[in-house]
Amino acid sequence: MNAPARLQHLNARDLSATNLCVHAASGPIVRNVDFSVGPGTPLTLLGESGSGKSLVAQAVMGALPAELQASGAIHLNGHDLLTTSSEDRRKLWGRRISLLPQEPWLALDPTMKVGEQVSEVHRFVHRQSAGESEVRTRDNLANVGLDRSGALYPFQLSGGMCQRAALAIAQASDCGLMIADEPTKGLDAQLRDGVVTRLKQEVAAGRLVFTITHDVGVARALGGTVGIMLDGRLVDYGPAAEVLIRPTHDYSRALLQADPETWAGRTPDRVGDSVLTGHGLAKSFGDKTLFTGLDVEVGAGEIVCILGPSGCGKTSVGNILLGLLQADAGKVERRGDIAALRYQKLYQDPPAAFAPHQVVRRGLQDLVRLHRLEWDKVEGLLARLKLPAALLDRRPGQISGGELQRLAILRALLLEPAFLFADEATSRLDPLSQKEVIELLLEIVEETGLAILLVTHDRALAEKIASRTIMLQGGPA
Amino acid sequence: MRRFLLSRLAQAGLVALVVGALSFVLMRALPGDAAMRIAAGRYGPDARIAEAAEKVRLELGLDRPWFVQFADWLGNLLSLNLGHSLVTGAPVLEELEVQLGASVWLAAAAVVLSLLLGPIIGVVAGLRPNGWSDRLGLAGSVMLRALPPFVLGLLLMLIFAIWLRWLPPAGFGSWRELVLPAFTLALGLAAVSSRVTRNAIASVTKAPYFTFARHKGLPEAVVVRRHGLRNAAIPVVSYLGVQAIYLVEGVVVVESIFAYPGIGHALVHAIVERDIPMVQGTALAMGLIFVAITALADGACLWLDPRLRRAS
Amino acid sequence: MSVQAPPAATALRFPPSRLAGAGLLAALAAFAILGPWLITADPAEQDFSASLAPIGGEYLLGADHYGRSLLARLAHGARLSFGMAVLTTLTAALPGILLGLLAAWHGGLVERLLEFLANIVLALPGLLLVLLLLAFAPGDFGPLYVGLALTLWVEFYRVTRATTAALLKQPHIEAAKLLGFPPGYILRSYVLPAIAANTVTLAAFAMAAAIIAVSTLSAISVGLQPPTPELGSMIVELLPYYSEAPVHLLLPALLIFLLVLALQLVAQRQDG
Repeated sequence: MNAPARLQHLNARDLSATNLCVHAASGPIVRNVDFSVGPGTPLTLLGESGSGKSLVAQAVMGALPAELQASGAIHLNGHDLLTTSSEDRRKLWGRRISLLPQEPWLALDPTMKVGEQVSEVHRFVHRQSAGESEVRTRDNLANVGLDRSGALYPFQLSGGMCQRAALAIAQASDCGLMIADEPTKGLDAQLRDGVVTRLKQEVAAGRLVFTITHDVGVARALGGTVGIMLDGRLVDYGPAAEVLIRPTHDYSRALLQADPETWAGRTPDRVGDSVLTGHGLAKSFGDKTLFTGLDVEVGAGEIVCILGPSGCGKTSVGNILLGLLQADAGKVERRGDIAALRYQKLYQDPPAAFAPHQVVRRGLQDLVRLHRLEWDKVEGLLARLKLPAALLDRRPGQISGGELQRLAILRALLLEPAFLFADEATSRLDPLSQKEVIELLLEIVEETGLAILLVTHDRALAEKIASRTIMLQGGPA
Repeated sequence: MRRFLLSRLAQAGLVALVVGALSFVLMRALPGDAAMRIAAGRYGPDARIAEAAEKVRLELGLDRPWFVQFADWLGNLLSLNLGHSLVTGAPVLEELEVQLGASVWLAAAAVVLSLLLGPIIGVVAGLRPNGWSDRLGLAGSVMLRALPPFVLGLLLMLIFAIWLRWLPPAGFGSWRELVLPAFTLALGLAAVSSRVTRNAIASVTKAPYFTFARHKGLPEAVVVRRHGLRNAAIPVVSYLGVQAIYLVEGVVVVESIFAYPGIGHALVHAIVERDIPMVQGTALAMGLIFVAITALADGACLWLDPRLRRAS
Repeated sequence: MSVQAPPAATALRFPPSRLAGAGLLAALAAFAILGPWLITADPAEQDFSASLAPIGGEYLLGADHYGRSLLARLAHGARLSFGMAVLTTLTAALPGILLGLLAAWHGGLVERLLEFLANIVLALPGLLLVLLLLAFAPGDFGPLYVGLALTLWVEFYRVTRATTAALLKQPHIEAAKLLGFPPGYILRSYVLPAIAANTVTLAAFAMAAAIIAVSTLSAISVGLQPPTPELGSMIVELLPYYSEAPVHLLLPALLIFLLVLALQLVAQRQDG
């Protein structure tokens, strides 16, 4: 991987915002945001969903939805963008300001080859000839390690490769300011590090880099300036070294403490016999062998973590152990005296585990009735898990991810589980929700001797809470 | 590619099977002298019918198991030995040749007209969803879809052929006779293809890849041309395959209403006159046209959408 | 006889157009069910002195060329169309949905067999299949009913199977099984509500298709024959008298139009 080569369009010296607000019909939803970005000093805005960080990025880009208005001032090289007409602001796209989109696998045209999506920047934005565009495209692709993928379509690329393709497009634009919108969303830990490295190369090459993320690790790695947003306000702002070590605001403190890197290790000890074992497990999908000769054992009171990149078969291991998937070879054994119902599963996408049209209360009532339990148990668990009773009368789509995952845990707890397969159960949650759910699981393990098999791609998390870790190697490039 | 062709051949085979099986049973099941009927169908009027009928009677009486007879029948069908019309005595294949051209002209004209009307209205409506052009298009589409083709055809005939006398009400000969039948079908097809196009355009312009193309700095015309049209065309072309059903059925109906001497018209006549070899021949022809149209539409989809070309 | 419909399926909602369609449908159903009972005139009674009587006056909606009351004929025609539509749709829907559920749940041999049957029916456009069956007995009710039911069955089967198969692959079904819920519960509480919305839409489209098919086939003289008061054949019978009685000709056409329109509004696949 080489550093970005051409920087002839680099004429952005600084970006700054003064008293930036975003107004909706109901009132201001982002208030009093001040920041500045300079060469060599990237800015990272940290916050959870709904904090307003994406709106700030959209305001800088000039891509706010029609019903929202920005006020205040945004200066790019001394020129106030908010006083510029929207046509002129649109002309800056691809020439002065480039955007790394969220979820690049959705932002790439599914029916156009990747190489063409890069070369069209050269042809139609920079007005190069067809031949010259081809040459520069090859350079761009080689810079991000996609030199052999130019003729592929987006559906043939992995998530990480799509991210690199989007970066190649941004480099083809060669703008002074690069806005990276949640660049590590949906990527596993390994790919995340790769993305951060490349962003740092952009900084080193003199580009202004403005990143939006909810991942504290990204902010820490990028350095420069960090701003923390909560409910549309900037609650902490300053050099990364200060804000990330000695934050001034309570929320910032909570956010940082939610990063597993900062946790004290709390690995539970095994308290009893093994609850579930798999010997010599093997599984292939098509012509891809995921694993062979795999031995897994989970004992009472332990948390066993399975780590590995996307597509390596981590979920399949758990599904095989639970009997939801047939292994190609090997045996699964359960401890004889434990009822089948006490083996449960938590899902990665909390709404997916609930029937979308069923009010939560109804599902729980049906479960209680089915197994002849008492409703008091549900009430008790609601209190213990700090869930408001009002949630029960909503549908899954109307409940936040963190609360819904805790409801899923409540549902599993009703059956007094001996084993829980947590399939990336916190990957899609906000950092604070993730911390809550993990702490809850740890408590339950310590109290009841529950055995947990946790699938995750977050190495830091596994280090802090796993009694044992299994590494799976497979997976696409 | 090979799997695609094989599956279309299989579909054509199924058409032949269904049409052949039903005709086989028809030949024997209808009231009247089955042997005479079969003889006339097989050998035509020039043969000595009484002798031929005797031969057939012997054949039938010899207790040849039905599946052998059926295999025989299918064999004839597949080698395009379609026998003779029980009404005119002419070989079925000859009659079909004449009628096929007329029907193909009609179908082609209908498709071309519908492609000129439908997608254009759909694009205009889709670029401004819920605007007045969209609402107007929706109302028009709903109204048109509630009119069965035969009613629409009769209405157009009343207005343009009988009251205004701009066009002939029936027959075949020049392009004039083609206009009303083709237009009847085209309006019905366009009523739906305009909405399919509108939905495709509306969803493509909201898609993340469309927005990203703008953010890349591409001029709007380039965005629409390179990222909008092809992606929007995919559901539209794919739906043409479904519309083949409406087209083929419509050809039968419209030809009957306008007395347009194509295959559909011949099929209906053959049914009324119990001319089974013609029933078989025309039904087979229409069925194969149907397979051909859907194969073309699906092939176009494969060409447009690389995701469909995946081996799995 | 295919009723064209733009693709898309959504949950059951009640926008104003759907309500309007339901209202229209109810009114037409009342006309079809109560009409023949309340209107005492005999739709088959001929009176040449009243041939092509105008609207208003003695004949409320005029009389046709044989002097038969158009009001009576329209009411009986509506009942006939409605009745056939309901009958064929029910005959198609019940086995179609049940077999679709079966195929999606069990898969394997059952599914493959049903797919093969469906492919046979789908090899030809529906109207052609019905025409071939009508060749056995043109003008008879039997082949018409069987042919329509067969063609409509496939759509119910395919949509139910596809929707159910996709649904059964989702995590919340797997979770329900892990939690110990029996297949009956899953079917009742999760699968059936999901296919209910689709089924209403499909049934409305199926009925519209049946009405169009019967009237079309009667209009081209292979469906139900005169003197049966069938809306399609009525239009064709009155066609030669377009100059003397243009409105008479349009009345059955209008009725067919309103019936199909009402059903399509109720079916309502959402746009946009």
